[in-house]
Amino acid sequence: MSEEKVKVVSRRFLIKMIGGGAALLGLSKLPLALAQVSGQAIQQMPGFTGPDANPYWGAVGPFVVYPQKLPLIQITDRPVQLETPRHYFLTPFTPNAAFYVRWHLEGIPNAVNLSEWRLFVEGYVEKSMALTMSDLMKRFKSVSIAAVNQCSGNSRSRFQPRVPGAQWGNGAMGNALFTGVRLTDLLDAAGVKTGSVQVQFEGLEKGRGLKDSVSYRYLKSLSLNDPVINETIVAYEMNGEPLPMLNGFPVRLVVPGKFSTYWTKALTWIRVLDKPDTNFWMTKTYCVPDTPRGNTTPKDVKEGRVKMVPVGTMPIRSFIITPDGSGKIPLEMPIRVQGIAFSGSGRVVNVDFSDDDGATWSKAKLGEDYGRYSFRTWESIWIPKRTGNYVLAVRATDEKGNVQPDEGVWNPKGYLWNKIERQEVMVDVAQ
Amino acid sequence: MKKIIYILIGFLVIALNKPVLAKTGLPGLVRSGQYSKGTLHSIIQPDSIQQSLDSIYNVGTYPLYTPDLASGEGREIIQGYCNLCHSVTYITMQPPLPAATWEDAVYKMINTYSALIPEDETKQIIAYLQAHYTPETRRQ
Repeated sequence: MSEEKVKVVSRRFLIKMIGGGAALLGLSKLPLALAQVSGQAIQQMPGFTGPDANPYWGAVGPFVVYPQKLPLIQITDRPVQLETPRHYFLTPFTPNAAFYVRWHLEGIPNAVNLSEWRLFVEGYVEKSMALTMSDLMKRFKSVSIAAVNQCSGNSRSRFQPRVPGAQWGNGAMGNALFTGVRLTDLLDAAGVKTGSVQVQFEGLEKGRGLKDSVSYRYLKSLSLNDPVINETIVAYEMNGEPLPMLNGFPVRLVVPGKFSTYWTKALTWIRVLDKPDTNFWMTKTYCVPDTPRGNTTPKDVKEGRVKMVPVGTMPIRSFIITPDGSGKIPLEMPIRVQGIAFSGSGRVVNVDFSDDDGATWSKAKLGEDYGRYSFRTWESIWIPKRTGNYVLAVRATDEKGNVQPDEGVWNPKGYLWNKIERQEVMVDVAQ
Repeated sequence: MKKIIYILIGFLVIALNKPVLAKTGLPGLVRSGQYSKGTLHSIIQPDSIQQSLDSIYNVGTYPLYTPDLASGEGREIIQGYCNLCHSVTYITMQPPLPAATWEDAVYKMINTYSALIPEDETKQIIAYLQAHYTPETRRQ
């Protein structure tokens, strides 16, 4: 075969091919994940995507290096926001060094002196406490929970029309085994006064804004009558290690099933409130329309028809991790399609896999169960019987009967995306 | 002299990016021995920082990787004001946004996040963002 016939197929060309093919097939609305590995090293990804939806699985930023971290995908550098690349989701637990990062304000801890740091439990309590890390480890019973931490805006770059904010792909999530003390044990030790309604959390993260402006500190609260209070822990360990500084050393709040906005990092103040918290971070942002799936339209928002409520429980999601479309698959080779699934409202009980764009489904095999708040891995052995393009799809169901929908969602802040995920792959001859 | 010729051939091989010396006729092999220039040090491998027994848990500084903003009138004003609270990566990471969305974003910084930006500069910042970061105007 002559050299001239074999042109180097560029990523851009591939995108056009896939785009063109999809348009021909009338599939232009499908967000088919494009490969993000094994491309030409000299050919960079685009610097941004839009105004169309981001076609890649992850965000398009460059790889960057931070303390205690492997190269991750840059979203922003000050404050730091980093996305976990796709292939770290092959395992049920996401390595700490690959765990995504999201801060709100630029004053992020670089160094913490544990002989001076204290966890304060204060506010509407009988007895305020100032606890050292050693107190937390020795005076209280240690508990562990596997829980998914996901940014409310994970997959925001799928929104149409696009909304401003961190343009996450799918990697603003991770699962870890968190170890620490129960929030209720701390509250019981301090003695919550009758008439208390919420608990507020504040960390060491501080912004350049004027004191008490919303750009100075980040405050989040949970209601005392929310059942999640009983499952919330103050974690000093993550996957059997101290927390990475960028993931909230010395301790962070773990609120199983809820979006990460409540998982305060570098947690330092636990404040019991006798009135509901109406601060900006509770009532003006991290809010979603009070509609099914938090779905609305730009028009309804503009005309003031949408009532907003704080974002809460994570809807059910599942992902295809491999194959990722970076290479072709030989005909009739048994392929182990692998991925993860999770739901904030209950154990994942079923994952369905499709090789025909969701027309027909078959049950995937579920991996080990690490508890209702953990990633659940799944796999399906798939033997392609014809050559050509396939659209693989995955759909999860939880114990409450929640099934992933095949419709996107739109809201002004870019939260709650959980549409069925797809991956295009090409199967070619093997002889 | 021979050495120089070998070096020149070496460069030629790399420059042509073709296996000129390796026409093998191996079964099924379409291409091999092709390389292209990569960017060295684009992702550095960081060293661990020195620890000491002082009760301080320290990870050092966080590197800034801030891309250049599009050149044009108002860029210095943007860099001056926006950089106070966050890097301008917050601008470049966005998708192209409609002109009205940029205007809303700037007023959100002022009215919600208490950014202290005088009226004239506010207008210049909005004009700059609209001139370089909308679906119609964005180039980089």
